[in-house]
Amino acid sequence: MLDPTVHAALASILPPAALLTSPEDTRPYECDGLMLFREQPAAVLLPDNEAQVVAILRRCAEAGVPVVARGAGTSLSGGAMPVASGVVLSLAKFKRIVSIDPGTRTAVVQPGVRNLAISEAAAAHGLYYAPDPSSQIACSIGGNVAENAGGVHCLKYGLTVHNIRRVRGVLISGDVVEFGGDALDASGYDLLALVTGSEGLLAVTTEITVKLLPKPQYAQVALAAFADIEQAGAAVAAIIAAGIVPAGLEMMDQAATRAVEQFVHAGYPLDAAAVLLVESDGTVEEVAAEMADIRAVLERAGATEIRVSQNEAQRLSYWSGRKAAFPAVGRISPDYYCIDGTIPRGALARVLKQIEVWSAEYGLTCANVFHAGDGNLHPLILFDANRPGDKERTIEFGDRILELCIEVGGTITGEHGVGVEKLNGMCSQFSPGELDRFLGIKAAFDPRGLLNPGKGVPTLARCAEFGRMHVHHGELRHPELPRF
Amino acid sequence: MSMPVSTGTRPAPDAMAGVVATLTRDYGARAVVNESVREQHSHGEGLADAGLPDIVVFPHTNEEVAAIVRQCHIARIPVIAFGVGTSLEGHVAALYGGVCIDLSQMSRVLEINGDDLDCRVQAGVTREQLNAELKGTGLFFPIDPGANATLGGMASTRASGTNAVRYGTMRENVLGLTVVTADGTLVRVGGRARKSSAGYDLTRLFVGSEGTLGVITEVQLRLYGIPEAISAAVCQFPDLKSAVDTVILAMQMGIPVARIELLDDVQMEACIRYSKLEGFEARPTLFFEFHGSDAGVQEQAESMQSIANDQGGSAFEWATKPEDRSRLWKARHNAYYAALALLPGTQGFATDACVPISRLTQCVLETRADVDATGLTAPIVGHVGDGNFHLVVLFDPADAAQRAKAEALARRVSARAIAMGGTCTGEHGIGVHKLGALVEEHGEAVELMKTLKRAFDPRNILNPGKTVPL
Repeated sequence: MLDPTVHAALASILPPAALLTSPEDTRPYECDGLMLFREQPAAVLLPDNEAQVVAILRRCAEAGVPVVARGAGTSLSGGAMPVASGVVLSLAKFKRIVSIDPGTRTAVVQPGVRNLAISEAAAAHGLYYAPDPSSQIACSIGGNVAENAGGVHCLKYGLTVHNIRRVRGVLISGDVVEFGGDALDASGYDLLALVTGSEGLLAVTTEITVKLLPKPQYAQVALAAFADIEQAGAAVAAIIAAGIVPAGLEMMDQAATRAVEQFVHAGYPLDAAAVLLVESDGTVEEVAAEMADIRAVLERAGATEIRVSQNEAQRLSYWSGRKAAFPAVGRISPDYYCIDGTIPRGALARVLKQIEVWSAEYGLTCANVFHAGDGNLHPLILFDANRPGDKERTIEFGDRILELCIEVGGTITGEHGVGVEKLNGMCSQFSPGELDRFLGIKAAFDPRGLLNPGKGVPTLARCAEFGRMHVHHGELRHPELPRF
Repeated sequence: MSMPVSTGTRPAPDAMAGVVATLTRDYGARAVVNESVREQHSHGEGLADAGLPDIVVFPHTNEEVAAIVRQCHIARIPVIAFGVGTSLEGHVAALYGGVCIDLSQMSRVLEINGDDLDCRVQAGVTREQLNAELKGTGLFFPIDPGANATLGGMASTRASGTNAVRYGTMRENVLGLTVVTADGTLVRVGGRARKSSAGYDLTRLFVGSEGTLGVITEVQLRLYGIPEAISAAVCQFPDLKSAVDTVILAMQMGIPVARIELLDDVQMEACIRYSKLEGFEARPTLFFEFHGSDAGVQEQAESMQSIANDQGGSAFEWATKPEDRSRLWKARHNAYYAALALLPGTQGFATDACVPISRLTQCVLETRADVDATGLTAPIVGHVGDGNFHLVVLFDPADAAQRAKAEALARRVSARAIAMGGTCTGEHGIGVHKLGALVEEHGEAVELMKTLKRAFDPRNILNPGKTVPL
């Protein structure tokens, strides 16, 4: 319930249709793509201009009301999960593409614009926006900035942070700040990188300048089958070690290909233990030369079958299964849990093998479908929440995978963000020194912690608590921390 | 407008004496108070600023750096990290005295992970040393700011250089860092995973922070496969506009050229004289380099040549042999010295404007007209593919009026770039000389930078007086 004076103040900022408070109206906002965690907010606000955002934040700051910004709600880590005592600030009405400048190859867009809509609008100029998370038909660019989203092509073209120039945002104080600039580099501290991936904890984005790239003249994808998953992992490392930077380098294991084949009928080889998709783009000559190199490496790495797309329809059909992997798995299992650990590529074979062993140990099927070129795993653990013990074992299995990722020098989240989901994992991955800096940064932007509280960065107290519960190999984590 | 300044305080004399005594005891010959060594550590390659450090220490390990910083933290003594002193904006001047940490003896390449295309080096490794050690691996580290700077220094200033147009700047190429924070804590940030959305991006926050948020002691870097084919070409133009327009068209078409450098007629004349470049005229000129497969390089070069032709450019002069290429790039790297040699006895400093590519022609031409109106000699040279270009502004140090005129010109260059949506510094950084321009460029965001500086360094001991006006 909103305090009546706060409600009145918000009602003076927004028209009635943009201020939702009844439970039936706020219900659709109770969770994002991670449906394990739900909470109903006191109100949902739908501003349509920056002045309203400024006024809302200023009012919420005065009243000490938590604010959770929300884009399309496709986050997989609970980044947009509401706070019961707070408001959800939806940017859904910020859906204007303000301008496209083919001269500088940039577009100025509002945060609620869908990722794919940018490329669709830029297509008239032969340009596109490179990062392409699988949810790109639905996810919003503001959310992409908040999560530093990647996608299947970020191996060659980078993550969100590499593909934006400027973010305009509003601080909890109501001050409007421009991060970055229109030139290649901006002076001073790299605040643009700091707000990118900050999960709505530092500022609310109101406008973004994205970089656009010329559409490659031509693209081909090779589909390679392997009899052994370790061999496929080694093939990924071999491609990179050969100095090839494919436009996309994705892997699916047998559990994944079987699930998607029933769904998209793309003709995947179902007897293969693993399938790699390797894309090359550029001019026709460049693609031909690179494809020949890719084929040679795949053959040497022991591929049992290699198919190269011969036309655009075929290329899209090879990709269709990868892009639809999550919904396809959703069809064959009552529940699934997606992990997002990222590791140095050299460790792929080892980690995949270990996941296979654990999968047998826990008796839980794990479908692996992931951005192999970046070393970004997405093991999908299939479970049935209605079967006693399944959920607990799933979570334990997932935690072990993430611990292994940290152990081999990786990270607990490559692109989905920490949200509410991986707060404990943050305690394992980061030292108190780093967590301290994180908290210092948060305090510099939002001293009272009103923007998206309880997400992204754990408190030191939480880490101490987690360390107490989670004694690993007999060692206490962060013994130097005070215990509570 | 009054110039914003960043403040610090001189340490209490007895506190300083105490730290000098302890460091001398602990580090012996690696702690130096000799005046000529201190003088040498008080400036980079730009114009000198007042301020010698009280002592220069040469640590060998992360732990030594941490111990030194911890002592300075307790005694509230300024700490200035120093690589090889090639910065241009007064970054290493000890404005308030204190301890200079010279990292040049931390010069080991710690690991090379060929399969993952990354490596970890100590901060004092120079880029040329790294590339020498990579010989035989088929890999290289591309970022090339001209000077043989240390990788720690390049990370601190977010350096870029001639091939940023293809490979990005240090922002894109630093994967992780080991940093000593203001209180002397060793922190590792980032890592070998190619992407992470866990926590705030501390790596990029430290990259470009010019030693004001922490002392970088190790750098994890991306490496690249040496391209199958490399070739370089030179193309001369009838006027400045057609040269710059050629660049803009190439960028808009997305030709993946590895380097694209502009030299105006004055700079070309200087280079012809200084580097004995034969067969060229003192006309606006573009230097190109193409990387890729044989077929790819040929295709890029053909597209480039046809754009240049349309703009009235000459036929490409090719340099495919490595020695011809390195002569060409050496001439480019020596542009600053070549410019100084135009007017013996003068001093010079470089401006560093960077604008969105579509504004480049306007910015370059207006800047050139501005130079001509002042009567100063200030050749233009730049990494124009990024929209970044430099003036080397020459002035007679004995002539105060001329120096004032030169500085006023430089301020107008920054202001012009900012007005066009660009930045006052594409790659050299803020240091002490561009604090005013930072405020002009960022407005409200500077307040956040100040707050961050205070959060990371509450006692203001890390390179005080630089990067952010406090």
